Amino acid sequence: MKFSPALESLIEALRCLPGVGPRSAQRMSLHLLERDREGAETLAQSLTEAVEKIGHCSRCRNFAEETLCEICADPRRDRSTVCVVESPADVLALEQSASYRGVYFVLMGHLSPIDGIGPDDIGLDVFQRQVTDGEVKEVILATNPTVEGEATAYFLTDMLAGTGISLTRIAHGVPLGGELEYVDGSTLAHALSGRVPVDAQR
Amino acid sequence: MRISLQPAYLLHRKPFRDSSQLLEVLTAEHGRISLVAKGVRRKARGGNTSALVQPFSPLLVSFSGRGEMKTLTHAELAGAPWMLRGERLFSGLYLNELMIRLLQRYDPHPMVFARYGETLAALASSAAAEPILRRFEMHLLEELGYRLSLEVEADTGEALDPNAWYRLDPDAGLVACAGTIPEIQRYQGSDLLAIAKDDIQGSSATTAKRLLRQALAVHLGDAPLRSRSLFRQYANAGDRQTPTQDESSL
Ligand SMILES: [Zn+2]
Repeated sequence: MKFSPALESLIEALRCLPGVGPRSAQRMSLHLLERDREGAETLAQSLTEAVEKIGHCSRCRNFAEETLCEICADPRRDRSTVCVVESPADVLALEQSASYRGVYFVLMGHLSPIDGIGPDDIGLDVFQRQVTDGEVKEVILATNPTVEGEATAYFLTDMLAGTGISLTRIAHGVPLGGELEYVDGSTLAHALSGRVPVDAQR
Repeated sequence: MRISLQPAYLLHRKPFRDSSQLLEVLTAEHGRISLVAKGVRRKARGGNTSALVQPFSPLLVSFSGRGEMKTLTHAELAGAPWMLRGERLFSGLYLNELMIRLLQRYDPHPMVFARYGETLAALASSAAAEPILRRFEMHLLEELGYRLSLEVEADTGEALDPNAWYRLDPDAGLVACAGTIPEIQRYQGSDLLAIAKDDIQGSSATTAKRLLRQALAVHLGDAPLRSRSLFRQYANAGDRQTPTQDESSL
């Protein structure tokens, strides 16, 4: 059976979502049209609005509707500490931990030479100008513990060397409540190589 | 085709359809291959294959499939991951880009695989990086059928004169040249003889870097190696103001 052109194009459009193949796109489309036209209307409006209004924060590059995102615009946040992360999802995760009061810089990716992604593509030129302005005292490197994330962290380390800014890297390793026996080998190797003197942990 | 527990290294990965990843893998017996790792971006139940399959980790991979693209069915660590830090990590990324650019898919090079592993081990040690990289590049050229002969002149077969100048003819090899041609195009005999004896340091290291860059360029085509320019930016990141010479090891 063949669907009408508008339905065909809806199914095709839904496939841009991650994890949505032709079957699920078809199921979603039929559901919206048969059972939830109101929901479909809201979805369409929200999508248009989001795409129109949401840009990037001029300071941290995270998604924002104004020039500054809510975090950067919040006077209670400590601007002397900047946490560098790869994606907006990382900001969300760190915010949920509710233990961080500084601001962020969102790279929207990581260095990946084979993919042709260099320092300027992830805003490191912008970041360098920002942090050398004088307000920033500490930079926390919270890129992922992948090879690309590490390379990005090393690049930043080198870039900020000699600026007098204190640099820290978040610890990676054994999850809280995890038992060594069940932690995979590469995570353990990472944890071992990043071991710290017992005194320093206090 | 079903291959079980093949020694391998991950060279690169990228997102592929929905929640899968496309892995570029260097294997011991099958050369460089592409593997689809299904559903790795979802939170894996139990063992997390995605965290395990990282570059510079000696792996054992099982895969199956008929077409160009095989499916990864299993992966485990074959040993401790090589911990490459700072500059060494960028050298490692360079090796991976070289493998992807120069090795054809499904063209087995067991010797390259072995040397790749040894090179990672050496880079993870405190030994000087430059000679390690140069040795690997020379080995790679040799394995691909383009051995650099550093003791004799290509056209005459005569031994190199330490005091003479030579240039690299990409098709033939080293040929004598006048000391008046641009410096960038000529190599000192004594440096070439030192490289042949695996004595890569000081002026012979600089010569080796230039020579291998020229020799590799022929096979790399027009597109520059991204990891090389990234490395240079990394080496200069601390002081972008000062114009720096090319002092990186790549
Ligand atoms: Zn912001």
